[in-house]
Amino acid sequence: MTFTEPLFLLYLVLCVVLNRLCPARGRAAFLLLASYAFYLTWSPPAAAILAILTLVTFAAGLALAKAQALAPVLAILLTVYLMAFKVALLTPSHGIAGLIMPLGISYYSFKLISYVLDVHWGKIPAEKSLLNFAAYIAFFPQIVAGPIQRPGDFFAQLPPKPVHLVNPILRIAWGLVKKLMIADNLAPAVNAIYGHLTSLHGAPLWAAFYLFPLQLYADFSGLTDIAIGSGQLLGVTGPENFDRPFTASSISGFWRRWHMSLTTWLVDYVFMPLRMASRRAGAWGLSFSIAVNMVAIGLWHGLTGSYLAFGLLNAAYLIVDTLTNKRRAKFFKQNPAWDRAGSWLGWLLTFHLIFIAEVFFRSPHVSDALWLLGHLASGLAGSGELLRQVVEETGRHALAIGLVGYLILELGERFRPDLWLRELYSAGPRWLRWSFYSSGVMASILALALFLVHAAGKRAPFLYEIF
Amino acid sequence: MNDTKERIQIVFRDIFDDDSIVLRDDMTAADVENWDSLNHIDMIVAIESEFKIRFTTAEVTSLKNVGELMALVDKKRAAKP
Repeated sequence: MTFTEPLFLLYLVLCVVLNRLCPARGRAAFLLLASYAFYLTWSPPAAAILAILTLVTFAAGLALAKAQALAPVLAILLTVYLMAFKVALLTPSHGIAGLIMPLGISYYSFKLISYVLDVHWGKIPAEKSLLNFAAYIAFFPQIVAGPIQRPGDFFAQLPPKPVHLVNPILRIAWGLVKKLMIADNLAPAVNAIYGHLTSLHGAPLWAAFYLFPLQLYADFSGLTDIAIGSGQLLGVTGPENFDRPFTASSISGFWRRWHMSLTTWLVDYVFMPLRMASRRAGAWGLSFSIAVNMVAIGLWHGLTGSYLAFGLLNAAYLIVDTLTNKRRAKFFKQNPAWDRAGSWLGWLLTFHLIFIAEVFFRSPHVSDALWLLGHLASGLAGSGELLRQVVEETGRHALAIGLVGYLILELGERFRPDLWLRELYSAGPRWLRWSFYSSGVMASILALALFLVHAAGKRAPFLYEIF
Repeated sequence: MNDTKERIQIVFRDIFDDDSIVLRDDMTAADVENWDSLNHIDMIVAIESEFKIRFTTAEVTSLKNVGELMALVDKKRAAKP
């Protein structure tokens, strides 16, 4: 059951209704039940593993007050557990992962690890209620692909309070539009080009270079919108994952705006401890901590050469950015005339550096990425015809819809017409507010119905569901 | 006399390159423009050398705001022989 299936939406509606009917005291238990029912449709053995890990970590949390040494041991064991599955996926038969692949393993393992370390560091007290703890780990809107919520933030929202339904519903509808209208319409051209890289050169490679990051952003942020909206309908608001990432004018700015729940997790549990340990080592300590952190971000997606290259490339970018930061700031302070040009150039450079790294992210092998980057300029003059062929084969309309949709996404997120519309109608009389609400809900229901029919035949999984 | 706040404020102004910073107890990284995860530990190291004290990772990661940082520095200074 995934987020674009009609069955998921029906299940969500059922859960929202039952959750509201449930007395406040019983809601955490209800969320736990609903989450395990969801997980069982994936795989009962995987659900059993999830339950065992939850029990062990819960018991360890209570024992931590008396046995401090347990925390690092358990954090390492949980990391080994996650790595074991990632390593197994590399073997031809997929080893243990071929038998059981725990859904959302990368996400729930990180939740378990952060709980152990937060209790160990005294950030939060050990959770006394097994019910609340198990509901946090298995919370179904977040288990497929995050966002990775911190334990303290989740527990503070229990028992879940009923929320206004309009905003979460609009957010889910917007997420579905991003996925089904934008990402899935950009995907055919991207897949066709990446599938035949070595027979292509010039123009089609440029197209894939620019299109894939847009597809990835629409896909993953759409998935996050559905996850956050679904959580809110059940009374738990998860952390944000994106903040208009492609508007960043520096690499560090980009990483503060992209997959934020993962990057802040790694900053807190990997980068900060390393940085503290190496704090007397000056620029070397800083560079080392950044490198480990960025490689961890890459390898979290899978233990492959191309994810490693993605991590290393971003590490190099970020080290240069950080070590030159003060000098650049001083230069722009002394030369204010350059400030505007500087931020524009910074944006252009950041955008292209990130897109180069995304080529490695998308390519199955480092050699594919190098082929794409190495043949962008070769035979460029006559390659327009190649691009035309790819577009004809994969659908001119699909690409046009995807691109127009993406433009609407960027403009919409930049100017937020929904916010000023809301301001406008919240000042108006009650009937005006309600007509806005009801037309918004009607439009979303219509959009949902259209997209569900549209998607029924050719549902493509979310790019971030596989981690 | 307790001069912790004044001295931390000087460190903040130097590390985050902004002479207008005035510390408040409820201040967090969100309130200071140049304060991010990349230079957070630079500030911690500067405070360690300013007061000749040492922090642990657990202490640093569980700080929630400037007020808690000042209280921690006071505690460390009081514990010094």
